Amino acid sequence: MTIEIKKNAEETIIEIVGRLDTLTAPALDKTINEDIGETKNLVLDVKGMEYISSAGLRILLATQKKMQKIGSMKLTNVCEEVMDVFEMTGFADILVIE
Amino acid sequence: MRLIIPILLNCILVLAVYLIDKCTPAKKLPYMTKQIIIGVLFGGVSAFASSYGVEWLGTTVNVRDAAPLSAGLIFSAPAGIIAGLIGGIYRWFSVYWGGGVYTQLACSIATILAGFMAAGLRKLMFDNKKPTWGYGVCIAVVCEVIHMILIFITNMADSSYAFEFVKGATIPMIIGNAVAVGFAIIIVSLLNHERFTRKKGSERISNTFQRWLLLCIVVAYFVTSAFTLVLQNGMVRIETQKVFTAAINDVEADIKGKSDAQLLGIAEKVKKEYEKTPGIALQSLAEKYEIKEINVVDSDGLIINSTESDVIGCYDMNSKAQSKEFVDTLKKQDAFVQEYSPRGKDESVWRKYAAINLTDGGFIQVGYDAEQFHTMLNEFVVDVTKNRHVGTGGFVAVCDNKLSLIIDNDYSGLPISTIGIEPPSEMKEGKTASSLYYADVVDGKTQLSEKYMYVFKFVEGYCIIAAMPEAEAMFMRDASLYTSIFMQVLIFAALFIFIYILIKKVIINNLNKINATLGRITEGDLNVTVDVRSNEEFSSLSDDINSTVSTLKKYIAEAAARIDKELEYAKQIQLSALPTNFPDGEDYSIYAEMIAAKEVGGDFYDFYKLSDTTVAFLAADVSGKGIPAAMFMMTAKTIIKDLAESGMAVNDIFTKANEKLCENNESGMFVTAWMGILDLTTGNVQFANAGHNPPLLKRANGDFEYLKTRVGFVLAGMEGIRYRIGEITLSPGDRLFLYTDGVTEATNIENKLYGEDRLLDFMNQNATIEATRLLPALKKNIDEFVGDAPQFDDITMLMLDYKLKEGGESVANKTFPAKTEALNDVLGFVEETLEGIECPMKTQMAICVAIEEVFVNVAHYAYPDSDGVVNLHIAFDEESRDITFRMADKGVPFDPLQKTDPDVTLSAEEREIGGLGIFITKKTMDSLSYAYENGENILTMIKKI
Repeated sequence: MTIEIKKNAEETIIEIVGRLDTLTAPALDKTINEDIGETKNLVLDVKGMEYISSAGLRILLATQKKMQKIGSMKLTNVCEEVMDVFEMTGFADILVIE
Repeated sequence: MRLIIPILLNCILVLAVYLIDKCTPAKKLPYMTKQIIIGVLFGGVSAFASSYGVEWLGTTVNVRDAAPLSAGLIFSAPAGIIAGLIGGIYRWFSVYWGGGVYTQLACSIATILAGFMAAGLRKLMFDNKKPTWGYGVCIAVVCEVIHMILIFITNMADSSYAFEFVKGATIPMIIGNAVAVGFAIIIVSLLNHERFTRKKGSERISNTFQRWLLLCIVVAYFVTSAFTLVLQNGMVRIETQKVFTAAINDVEADIKGKSDAQLLGIAEKVKKEYEKTPGIALQSLAEKYEIKEINVVDSDGLIINSTESDVIGCYDMNSKAQSKEFVDTLKKQDAFVQEYSPRGKDESVWRKYAAINLTDGGFIQVGYDAEQFHTMLNEFVVDVTKNRHVGTGGFVAVCDNKLSLIIDNDYSGLPISTIGIEPPSEMKEGKTASSLYYADVVDGKTQLSEKYMYVFKFVEGYCIIAAMPEAEAMFMRDASLYTSIFMQVLIFAALFIFIYILIKKVIINNLNKINATLGRITEGDLNVTVDVRSNEEFSSLSDDINSTVSTLKKYIAEAAARIDKELEYAKQIQLSALPTNFPDGEDYSIYAEMIAAKEVGGDFYDFYKLSDTTVAFLAADVSGKGIPAAMFMMTAKTIIKDLAESGMAVNDIFTKANEKLCENNESGMFVTAWMGILDLTTGNVQFANAGHNPPLLKRANGDFEYLKTRVGFVLAGMEGIRYRIGEITLSPGDRLFLYTDGVTEATNIENKLYGEDRLLDFMNQNATIEATRLLPALKKNIDEFVGDAPQFDDITMLMLDYKLKEGGESVANKTFPAKTEALNDVLGFVEETLEGIECPMKTQMAICVAIEEVFVNVAHYAYPDSDGVVNLHIAFDEESRDITFRMADKGVPFDPLQKTDPDVTLSAEEREIGGLGIFITKKTMDSLSYAYENGENILTMIKKI
């Protein structure tokens, strides 16, 4: 999995490519905690993310909880397989997905 | 008439107090306060009645005693006593404002006594209840009798006035008070809707005794009273006659003495003159002394000279008794006076004679007629009778032989009939009245007549009459009659009460005690003993009852032991009829339990293979419990099994079984049943429901839910019922739970049912536990719910597990270290395998996520202290396209399926981070099952592609 951060004045965009599983999830967790700074609006671009397990979902939920207090978080370019998991787990209703 | 007002007032107060007592505010009053209020109210009525009565001989005839009696008898003992005290004290002081002094003490005591009497009788005789009106009247009568006796006692010095007073007051006072009390009780009885006629059938011994005793006492009372009356009547006549005889004898003696002395004096003078001049003319001598006759008799008794010439020399004095008496007597003595009597010579003539012996032998006899000596005696007679009294109002009168009064007043010389006395005509000289005569004696001054009794006696030509007013003669009789009748009332009343209380103490109370004990024995308490030892008969009765009970107890214990033994056999037989070789194969398993409420029950379950691919299973409940239900259950079970094994469809089995069970079902029992036939190859279940509880169905990935379908009528309930067939298809991992109403209708002490909701919750909380643990756990849960309440109904549970068929060929098998680092290897192995069987990419990814979750779970928790391994085995069934993943580890036993699913409907704030892993696996896979076997956690997952 690779993570790439893009920042502009309004938002921070994190591009995730690859599998977000038990092994890779800690890396994303670290990135979000350390590298996004004071941003109010977080965008997760998961165009290249074809796989997510519960470890990834945990980070998404934790981040969602954190961000909705100070600003917003949204996901863009969710693929079908991942969307299935979101729907199965009720995340489709919690996350802002574009 | 004036008495009606206090009587009414008493009734109205009774009515008012009775009605107010029924109201709620009055009921809240403390007992004593209420009694004091009632007592004061009735005391007021008593005081009012005291002054409001009929004037009688200076005091008032009233119904003062009725109020305390009413209060005491109808309401309560304290109220009666208070009312009596108020009435009595009022009466005592009422003399200061015009109350009668004469009966002050008697009336006061009587009223106070009335209160105590009512109180005492209510307690002792009527069990602190209101008596019937008849008893009320009797008590009022007795109370007034006591009142009258008290008047006697307190006025002993003046008994005739007291008697007059009592004679007049008794009847109105008794009637007045009796009516007042009687009406008061009747009013309350009417309000209570009591029946005045005797109830048909049995009645209480005490009532029978009361009634018969009362009857006997009343009869005895009237008999003794009548006897007393007759006796007193006789006595009074004898007494009166004695008084009369004494008076007459006195007068007679006086007159006789005087008369004798007078004639003797004349005789002596005549003798002197005759002896002085023996030749004297007797005729002139007789005229001189105003006598009728002079006879000179010789010593032989022959008349030798006489004033009457025809007797001279030819009349022998010895020839007649009357004259012979002179001859005989004068031989012994010198002089003799004979009483006025008929002459010997001519008995139609009465004459009085006296004779004196002559000096020369023989005697001289003189005689005169009544007219002659009366003129000499009359003055003396008047003196004798004057001031002579018979009793207080009686008198002695003397008449001459023509019945004219000899008296020194206006009546002198008048015939005695003038004052009303007329002795019978046949009575004359010498007769004495032997019986009492009655006459209306007229008072010359007032012209009033009064009934007198009299007797008379003819003496010396006089008629002596002794007379006395009847009333005076009868006074003593009446006085003693009244006192004795009053005393008899008291004695009989006391006797009645005493006998009644005695009977009650000796018999009725003991009977009640025995009855109470017998009642407890009847209710089943065989450990109580009867212990009434007050007399020999009850002692022996107690012993008999106790020995009967202990014998009974022994027999019951023996019978119970025998029944217990037989029940134990029956239980064995019944249990052996229920199959216990629970199948636990690869394709399905069945586990069941039946817990009977009694030794044997009416519930049953059954299962049997009908063919290689079909299994029948059922749960059923026979109405009722115990032996009858168990026997019916055996029949039903056998019939159903026979029919099932003949290869019928499940609904036809029920239809046919119903017909067979209806035959000869005299006892009206019925069976509810749910039966299914499972096709092991397809998972198809055909079922029928005969009035049974809906089973719980759990789909492999879902929760338990009630399988509610149309329910047919119970088996054996009615002939001609046709049952419908139902159908469901089970997938591997599905579970079907059958039970009887003993589960849902288990009841705790608060009468709450275990219920379908509680059952569903429990089953879902433990949805994946294997049946052998789940069913006992459910039973335990029910027991905890029920608590101390006894198990009421049989409980039956049957679980069918349609298993994951780990079918197909093994396609891959690999063992990994149980570490997250191995995840990529695991997923790589899975992907590779899946690609090998041409699994679509999307499914591949979903399966990978599912496997990752369970693997990470094992990696995190299975081996907390050491390194371990996980084995993953993958099989694939080309035909059904089922992939079976079997993950096994030797770590800590842990069933991941037990984990509660997260609520996916919550918002982000509410959602907990974590707990999603197993949930994703459950959702992804078609079925999961967990087992701990041979020290291995085995998780089996099936996914159809």
